[in-house]
Amino acid sequence: MDRLDPQLEDRERTPPFGELRIDRTSEVPVYVQIRDQLRARIERGVLPPGAALPPERRLAEQLGINRSTVLAAYGALKADGLVGAHVGRGTTVLAPPLPERGDEGAAALPWRELVRRGPASREDPVLRDLLALAERRDVVSLAVGLPPAELLPVAELAEVQARLVAERGAETLLHSPTEGIASLREALAARAAGWGMRATPHEILVTSGSQQGLDLIARVFLDPGDVVVVEEPSYLGALEVFRRAGARLVGVATDGEGMRVDLLEGLLSRHRPKLIYTLPSFQNPSGEVMSLARRQALLALARRHQVPVVEDDPYRELAYEQPPPPPLAALDGAASRPLGSPSGSANGVTIYVSSTSKILFPGLRVGWIAAPAEVIRRLSLAKQSADLHSPTLGQWVVERFLREGLLDRHLARVRPHYAARRDAMLAALAPAAALGVEWTRPRGGFYIWCSLPSALAPSRLLTAAAHEGVAYLPGSACFAEEPTGGHLRLNFTALAPAELREGGQRLLRALGTALTTAAPAWRASGSGTRPIV
Amino acid sequence: MHANLARRMDWLRASDIREMLKVTQRPDMISLAGGLPAPEIFPVAELAAAAARILAERGEVALQYATSEGHVPLREKIAARMNRIYGTSFQAAEILVTTGSQQALDLTAKLFLDEGDGVACESPTYLAAIQAFDVFHPRWVEVATDDDGMDPDALAAALTANPHLKLVYVIPNSQNPSGRTWTLERRRRFMEVVARHPVTVIEDNPYGEICYDGEPLPSLASFDTQGQVICLGTFSKTVAPGLRVGWMAVRGALFGKLTILKGAADLHTSTLGQLVLDAYLDGGTLDENIRRTCAVYRERRDAMISALEREMPPGVRFTRPSGGLFIWLELPAGMNARALLPRCLERGVAFVPGGGFFPNGTREDTVRLNFSNMPVPRIVEGIRRLGEAVRELATGR
Repeated sequence: MDRLDPQLEDRERTPPFGELRIDRTSEVPVYVQIRDQLRARIERGVLPPGAALPPERRLAEQLGINRSTVLAAYGALKADGLVGAHVGRGTTVLAPPLPERGDEGAAALPWRELVRRGPASREDPVLRDLLALAERRDVVSLAVGLPPAELLPVAELAEVQARLVAERGAETLLHSPTEGIASLREALAARAAGWGMRATPHEILVTSGSQQGLDLIARVFLDPGDVVVVEEPSYLGALEVFRRAGARLVGVATDGEGMRVDLLEGLLSRHRPKLIYTLPSFQNPSGEVMSLARRQALLALARRHQVPVVEDDPYRELAYEQPPPPPLAALDGAASRPLGSPSGSANGVTIYVSSTSKILFPGLRVGWIAAPAEVIRRLSLAKQSADLHSPTLGQWVVERFLREGLLDRHLARVRPHYAARRDAMLAALAPAAALGVEWTRPRGGFYIWCSLPSALAPSRLLTAAAHEGVAYLPGSACFAEEPTGGHLRLNFTALAPAELREGGQRLLRALGTALTTAAPAWRASGSGTRPIV
Repeated sequence: MHANLARRMDWLRASDIREMLKVTQRPDMISLAGGLPAPEIFPVAELAAAAARILAERGEVALQYATSEGHVPLREKIAARMNRIYGTSFQAAEILVTTGSQQALDLTAKLFLDEGDGVACESPTYLAAIQAFDVFHPRWVEVATDDDGMDPDALAAALTANPHLKLVYVIPNSQNPSGRTWTLERRRRFMEVVARHPVTVIEDNPYGEICYDGEPLPSLASFDTQGQVICLGTFSKTVAPGLRVGWMAVRGALFGKLTILKGAADLHTSTLGQLVLDAYLDGGTLDENIRRTCAVYRERRDAMISALEREMPPGVRFTRPSGGLFIWLELPAGMNARALLPRCLERGVAFVPGGGFFPNGTREDTVRLNFSNMPVPRIVEGIRRLGEAVRELATGR
């Protein structure tokens, strides 16, 4: 059905698509221009319900643009519920959601009024486009936060899984306690004890990934308007959770030793925050480690001001040189309790959040929290509302990997690979120094953090990188407030060294382009929402 | 750290279910308290085989991060299944996979509810939904419900009297806790009423396919002309609860908003669980397994109903559900189920007092009985002991 509705052509003298205008000099991406013009026509009734949009290929030819741009525009209209795509009928304008019946029938639902007035969804279109870009096969993506698929211990897992089903049968498929299966909580407590933490098993809560841990902490601690102190830069998924809970984020600068604790005291007095959020070991996104002295100073301040510290620590076991200092949660317990007192972390100020997603299998969604029992009790109640419990089989799998030494064996195997990948990435970046780019040399974790020279607009680099076929996480997403300079987060674990070198070369070319010329705009539309981790 | 907690947490009350499960873990206890499917009916071998196949063939995908919306082939299967069984017309793109349907309730509450917003529900309604919504401090409006379902006139009156009602939460198929299934006529009239008001309907449907007499009735969404109904579903009752795979079917602009909330809540639902389910569904044995499950449950339901008829003194009324896992009991006038419970626990039989299923807390003379999780002889014995305790309490001994 290529033809427009004849009725429509009667009503409108000019064909409705004849006047679409593309302004190539505009800052507005081409697909947005098309989307907005089509949307205006639909809303004015120029394109009534049932009218067919031209096939993408034809409109692309007519306007002299790429078909994917038209696809993106149609996709955006579809996402807004204005058009629908049907096999055999192409893309057609949908009827507005009006009731069929008469006089007192309701109009389309006023969704804007129906959803919460509270903190709105803050969807960053740049990030979305970027993730769509990272999905493209011809793109080298340094934007992800993944362990490499080819190094996952899949065969071991298959063996463990078969054994679990044989030994425990339906139990692995049944409901399990909200706090997590007891044996896993014991194994996690034992592992934490190895780092000097004294959490007992009942001070451990298993979560559906550490993202849920952060979400639960936000619901238990934060009311709208509360302040959370965060490092700058910080993990963007945590910033998102805190913002959504209605919190105001106050950033504290970091350097090569982690959080600038010397700046913290003033912030604590001035803002009276509800929480301090830190990633002290191989931070996401900077890769930096907080020094022992800073850790102790941070704890002393938190205790004095009675502010809980949320310690997000999923990268601790990915040390490629020497291990990081003990967790805050370990130092906290040791300092706050007289020697010989019962174990447990009842007097601590630290809420320790971790995950097996970086060291084992992200898809299992098994994370955990260690905190004083009073806090765990409340987090458990919140978790019960959130999802009852985490998947049972995944918990048993992690329990086996911990207890049978499979995790340690896996870590020993992958660490040298990750170290080699980091070195490959660092080597590939070396020429960028001449362009004024600076970066961290992480001793563990997943990421390298680059700072751009002030002359280089981050948006211009993003465009150039898209054209070169390389993706990264733009640093602006990692700040409490819009940062002054430009930054990039580069992942070095997901890709093999050769791919990293290729990605590095593309990035260098993009840097060169961005520093010298203005590049044309690029946008994409995605097929699914990839979590950014 | 107590002082630092968010104010909204003060509203969380200790869960009746949680306290209850502690007692029922005693092996000698006849538990009619849980809401659990019978473990022996889970397709353990098939799921294990599906998992082994997934790990052998696609282990790298099954264990990686994935999209927040969920695994596309699974979403396609869910949409097709809903459309086939419940007369809806959802597309895969309108299905958001959640970590159990509990998460769907939680995301719904997060999206819609500010403090003081109104939520209408059946009276009684599902305890965990009350808890999930209560976190956001809504005002509950209980709507009169009889054996045919929610009373549409009472709903119309409630909607007119409460213009700020945002959600209507209902379980039209074999409701938890009452076991009631709405008639077709009530479904139609319900949709006629809500269509005149700017409210969103949350149609929770965990038990639709656990149906012993006849076929499942059409979903409320099949009468929906404005994208007003959000459907919640789960595999917890039909395949296995520990997988934690549920979904919500959502039309229009809300889908994107819910996806963002889902991502912030836990990034995505366990990839392994989703792929295992998808592979299991490919095997084509789900319908057969549901038939087998229903045969087992039907026998247990019948056993419980005839035991109740035999054992209960006059003045006790109970529902005769056509599906689901629960029978709802109204005690003789003036009898309090919370007073009955200790006498029953002494006798080694447990149930859930019905008071917690009324969000505004009005009816303590009610009891929820589960019949899916105990073999027939235990059910018969449990009801005998329950009848004894009721008679004892009625005569004041």
